[in-house]
Amino acid sequence: MKRFRRHAHESQRERLKQELFHFNKTVEHGFPHQPSALGYSPSLQLLAIGTRSGAIKLYGAPGVEFMGLHDENAAVTQVHFMPHQVELVTLLDDNSLHMWTLRGHKGISELLEIGRFMLTGPPGAPPSVTSVTAVLAHSSGELLLLGTEGGHVFVVEVPGFRELEERNISLDQITNSIPDDYLGRRNLEHVEALVENPINPSQVVIGYGRGLMVIWDLEKKNAVQHLPATQQLESMWWTEDGSHILSSHSDGSYCRWRVGGPEEEEEEEEKSDIPYGHFPCKAISKIVQLPTEEGPPFLLFNGGMPRASYGDRHCITVIHGKTHVALDFTSRIIDFFVIRSGPQHTGDPSALVVLVEEEVVVIDLQTEGWPVIQTPYLVPLHSSAITCSHHVSAIPLKLWERIITSGELQNAHYSKKPWPIMGGQNLAPDPPQRDLLLTGHEDGTVRFWDASGVCLKPMYTLRTATAFHTDADPNDNMNPSAEGEWPPFRKVGCFDPYSDDPRLGIQKIHLCKYSGHLAVAGTAGQILMLEPNDEAAEHTVETKVVDLLQGQEGFRWKGHTRLNVREDPVEFPAGFQPFTLVQCQPPAVVTALSLHSEWKLVAFGTSHGFGLFDYQQNNNVFVRCTLNPSDQLALEGPLSRVKSIKKSLRQSFRRIRRSRVSLRKHHANNAAKIQEANARMEAELAEMELAPVQRKIEARSSDDSFTGLVRTLYFADTFLSDSTHHTPSLWAGTNGGCVFAYMIRLPAIEHRADEPVTAQPAKEIQLMHRAPVLGIVVLDGHGAPLPEPLEVAHDLARSPDMQASHHVVVTSEEQFKVFTLPKVSSKMKLKLTAVDGSRVRRVGVAWFGSSRTEDYGESGLVVLTNQGDVHVVSLPHVKMQVHYPCIRREDVSGIASCVFTRQGQGKHGSRPSLSGVLPRADLSVLRQAST
Amino acid sequence: MNRSFNKSQPLRNPNCNAVEVKSKYGAEFRRFSLDRVKPGKFEEFYKLILHIHRIANMEVLIGYADVHGDLLPINNDDNFCKAVSTAHPLLRIFIQKQEEVDFSNFGNNTLTRKKKAVVTLRNSDINRKRPHIRIGMPQDFRPVSSIIDVDILPESHRRVRLFRHGSEKPLGFYIRDGTSVRVTPHGLEKVPGIFISRMVPGGLAESTGLLAVNDEVLEVNGIEVTGKSLDQVTDMMIANSHNLIVTVKPVNQRNNVVRSSRMSGSSGQSSDSGGSTGYPSLSVATVREMSSGAHSYHDDLESDEDGDIVIESNIKRPSQRSNASPASNASRTHHQTPTAPPVRTASSSPPSRPVSVISTASFQSQTSLNGGSHEQHTQPLHHSSNPALRHSNGSLHKILSSLKTDPRHSLALPKGGVEEDGTVITL
Repeated sequence: MKRFRRHAHESQRERLKQELFHFNKTVEHGFPHQPSALGYSPSLQLLAIGTRSGAIKLYGAPGVEFMGLHDENAAVTQVHFMPHQVELVTLLDDNSLHMWTLRGHKGISELLEIGRFMLTGPPGAPPSVTSVTAVLAHSSGELLLLGTEGGHVFVVEVPGFRELEERNISLDQITNSIPDDYLGRRNLEHVEALVENPINPSQVVIGYGRGLMVIWDLEKKNAVQHLPATQQLESMWWTEDGSHILSSHSDGSYCRWRVGGPEEEEEEEEKSDIPYGHFPCKAISKIVQLPTEEGPPFLLFNGGMPRASYGDRHCITVIHGKTHVALDFTSRIIDFFVIRSGPQHTGDPSALVVLVEEEVVVIDLQTEGWPVIQTPYLVPLHSSAITCSHHVSAIPLKLWERIITSGELQNAHYSKKPWPIMGGQNLAPDPPQRDLLLTGHEDGTVRFWDASGVCLKPMYTLRTATAFHTDADPNDNMNPSAEGEWPPFRKVGCFDPYSDDPRLGIQKIHLCKYSGHLAVAGTAGQILMLEPNDEAAEHTVETKVVDLLQGQEGFRWKGHTRLNVREDPVEFPAGFQPFTLVQCQPPAVVTALSLHSEWKLVAFGTSHGFGLFDYQQNNNVFVRCTLNPSDQLALEGPLSRVKSIKKSLRQSFRRIRRSRVSLRKHHANNAAKIQEANARMEAELAEMELAPVQRKIEARSSDDSFTGLVRTLYFADTFLSDSTHHTPSLWAGTNGGCVFAYMIRLPAIEHRADEPVTAQPAKEIQLMHRAPVLGIVVLDGHGAPLPEPLEVAHDLARSPDMQASHHVVVTSEEQFKVFTLPKVSSKMKLKLTAVDGSRVRRVGVAWFGSSRTEDYGESGLVVLTNQGDVHVVSLPHVKMQVHYPCIRREDVSGIASCVFTRQGQGKHGSRPSLSGVLPRADLSVLRQAST
Repeated sequence: MNRSFNKSQPLRNPNCNAVEVKSKYGAEFRRFSLDRVKPGKFEEFYKLILHIHRIANMEVLIGYADVHGDLLPINNDDNFCKAVSTAHPLLRIFIQKQEEVDFSNFGNNTLTRKKKAVVTLRNSDINRKRPHIRIGMPQDFRPVSSIIDVDILPESHRRVRLFRHGSEKPLGFYIRDGTSVRVTPHGLEKVPGIFISRMVPGGLAESTGLLAVNDEVLEVNGIEVTGKSLDQVTDMMIANSHNLIVTVKPVNQRNNVVRSSRMSGSSGQSSDSGGSTGYPSLSVATVREMSSGAHSYHDDLESDEDGDIVIESNIKRPSQRSNASPASNASRTHHQTPTAPPVRTASSSPPSRPVSVISTASFQSQTSLNGGSHEQHTQPLHHSSNPALRHSNGSLHKILSSLKTDPRHSLALPKGGVEEDGTVITL
């Protein structure tokens, strides 16, 4: 590896930078944030999702994804594919229509916006005249019918968005055709729905909000039939044979109307039904009926639940013959559609696809029991809130297969049917390596995702809760389907934002890909050591309690208590099984974790201090308390403060209520008093809002709260005492800008099991600027970061240079600093915050290969700032190389959850990637490509 | 030691290039001579002194009596050179053991107590009020908060440097978002800006009087804040908190320094309307040496955090460890910074006390006693006893006389109203 001399060859350096660094935002993973519209093209087999932020995403076969973004920052309210075309039309809530198409370009299809259109009414008309409420993409593929708030239907020719004024259906034309005896003829309200006759493309039915439906002939320009429903209309469906129209209404009823010649008007209302009747019901917002080859048709509708008892459920009812199921979703239903089998997609319904706010659920309608089909993409990463994430690249095949096997055992309840949406072809080459993303969740699960390819595939879920006694009974069935319950609910979907016990939450994960050892640390100070086992096993988890306060007296931990460990043997399923539990006392959140599988040591830190645990001998090596004894907040635990805020809020609410009640009691001249009180409250509120946002300017001090919180832990084999003997060492960085280094003495390999591991303090550095220390990296004699444990043993990294002197790079929130070793003295630094006001949020080491030559590359620090920018800082000279905007500054959770991958393979095209996890919505993997 | 010298020695040396030196250590005198034009380095002089007095292996402090009879230290090339060149006719050297040094003697007029005629003329007001104004040893000098770079900034702007070194005082101010009006080629334009929103009573910002509520923040340590969010500016200020230099557009533009000429423009002076308030708001009367300011803070920028404390292989108990006291931290920092130019202030203070407190005490009373015009005369004289200022003495008077008004003296803002002013004032 070449080294650079400072100042020399500036231009050469510039060129090298271009070869080394190239920033590509590649894919966004997971589930789109705030979906608002759904569309499906049976001919293309593509699914389209529009979001409230104006994004449109298309999904086909696994790996086939397209994304587009409207220029307007308006929600997508409707998505319609033009039948048998590649175009699709979106309606935004600013009333603009957009035409998108998929266009081939160098063998790859792209999603492009090719036109936009805003309906213009006659001059002087109110905006409601042209406000679009219903869109019908006509089967001819050339017409778009737009129903509006004002009750008109406009006809527009596509793809050019040319208004065909002569074909418009005005409200006057409709009202003139209505029989005089229809009560609501004075006000039909807006156009609620437009449906085309499946067997006669010249006929459409126009449904008005008040309930009237009019079958209109587009060619003859006259009304064919009137269907005078009396309830507010919600949706319509024209059965496939053209003989009936189904209408659903706001009172939870649906009606079946017979379509015939105008002469048969007298018996049009054939059947009306409120499926969950007797008591008032909520609206049925969408109804679909599909025939089957043999047997009764499928009837599916959304909503209609009894208002009082189940008004808060999100249900889709599926009725097929005698089978009647109310699928109960955990979040609001956006829309649904049914995929039909057969080459023309006109056969039996095969799958129901439901878009709810937090996930997509696909139900197999052809298998007994209607099981769920596992989604290969659009998986809600956040099914339980993500609390942390950990990325491991280049997983050895053996471990990979073990994880897959364990995962398959867990997924027995899914349908065996393949994924039904297979549009498009994934041209992406097979991923060069196996990458794993681990997400820790609030409910104590760790999910393993295949992050090697374009899409993120769930592989395996580890539940740590089984090792503990929790309030929730693990045998508690999620689907208590009591016999004879009405409506016949069935829970579907995996989105479950409610955690039984927040103490189970996973805070830190560290997986050693070579040994398979996994350390998982949680909210209540628990650190579980796990190892993979291909078979289910029953064993007890050995617990070691570690006191991080080391006899600091006179305080009371007011936070949560530790979790109760099951003392009896526990049956663990195949997969990762815990063998040791290290329990920190006080049971504060574990804030730092590091595992060294070669030395069989795990280091952990909380707001009180840090410790080193030898998991071979099950023995704690040492504990260091970093707590400032005057730091009451950290001593007592953060919960106490939250409680007090809650309490004071509650009290103030009570006070307000009491004052209102007392006002009510004193009836005399109360009106004036209430007014007065209200005015006062309003004034107070206004004052609160007017108070400017201000920021205190104060230097950091040693008396700040949580200065002792351990932010980072790092193992290194380096020179601490003198420049001739290198020893294992543990480094820790705190929130208060302090770095501790401990020298570790490991017994010889043959005595590793019986001789104790010892450690002694070696260095302490207090950074003067006192900013939190986020990362510590030791550089070898070549200025390259030390390899990961076992990497050299597995021949995957060259051994570090132990000849020349080492350096340690300390990254704080504000700057990067290089110190010499073994004598610690400041050598170089790079300031970030003092210069541009951004602070480091995440830091990682990455390897950048040159795009021009195979044999050149260098390591750098990859940094994500609180402004959402990614910076690359060179090593060992800590010089700013490049920076790119990456995540929006406002996306705090996205920034907070970003993880960097360490490095790819040593090949050309190796691309360290970084992923931003958006716990509420989606996870985006951005590739820092070196090509 | 405290014996006063009250009569001048007869001129004995006919060689005008040689300076006669009379050096006293304890009760012993030594006499020798130095070249007035080329006195050499202080190092050599120090060795010579030790050699002549045969007191090798001893840390001593060398002082001399200047023309006014003040005992002033010799501890670097500059003041050594000064001492030799101003010796008239005899250079009287006083040697004290380092551990026995009585700092109260330095800069004090104990040596000249009987030169009443001169002294009263120059220092009468001060002496009456506060007879023991002491001048600290140069190593005790440290930078204090001040207005800097007056010569290179537009008159409507003010660059303020807040020094926290060794001070327990908080910086003590808040900033907020606001709108400011800029003059552009297309007319007036409203742009977002950052403003000071609040002062913490007793904080550095408030007590130095250099910043005021609703001042617009333009730069932080030389970096423009335009386009930066409130949080970014906050973080920048905190990151620079050990040596914060804020360029502001003061909300009150009436108190700007009106500069009569280019050459005299580099001196900023501030005082405060503090007399009317309850807390010790003060006026740091700061007269800066013109050349050193602009680059000296860059030096500080570079050196600012070599103050990291490193403990090597040192086993300490946790209770001692985690809070290395800020005072010791700061003092280390101070020692590691390149010698700060000993010209910032004339007031000396014990090393651990906050500078601005001292200067507050010494000047506030003065302000309240004297009228504004009088104050301007007393200060330079007071300063002139500082040896390091002496060489710029000539221009100093010019500067001071060129100051039309005391910049903050006529500050019309009532203290109470300034504290929490949420309204946006745009100028």
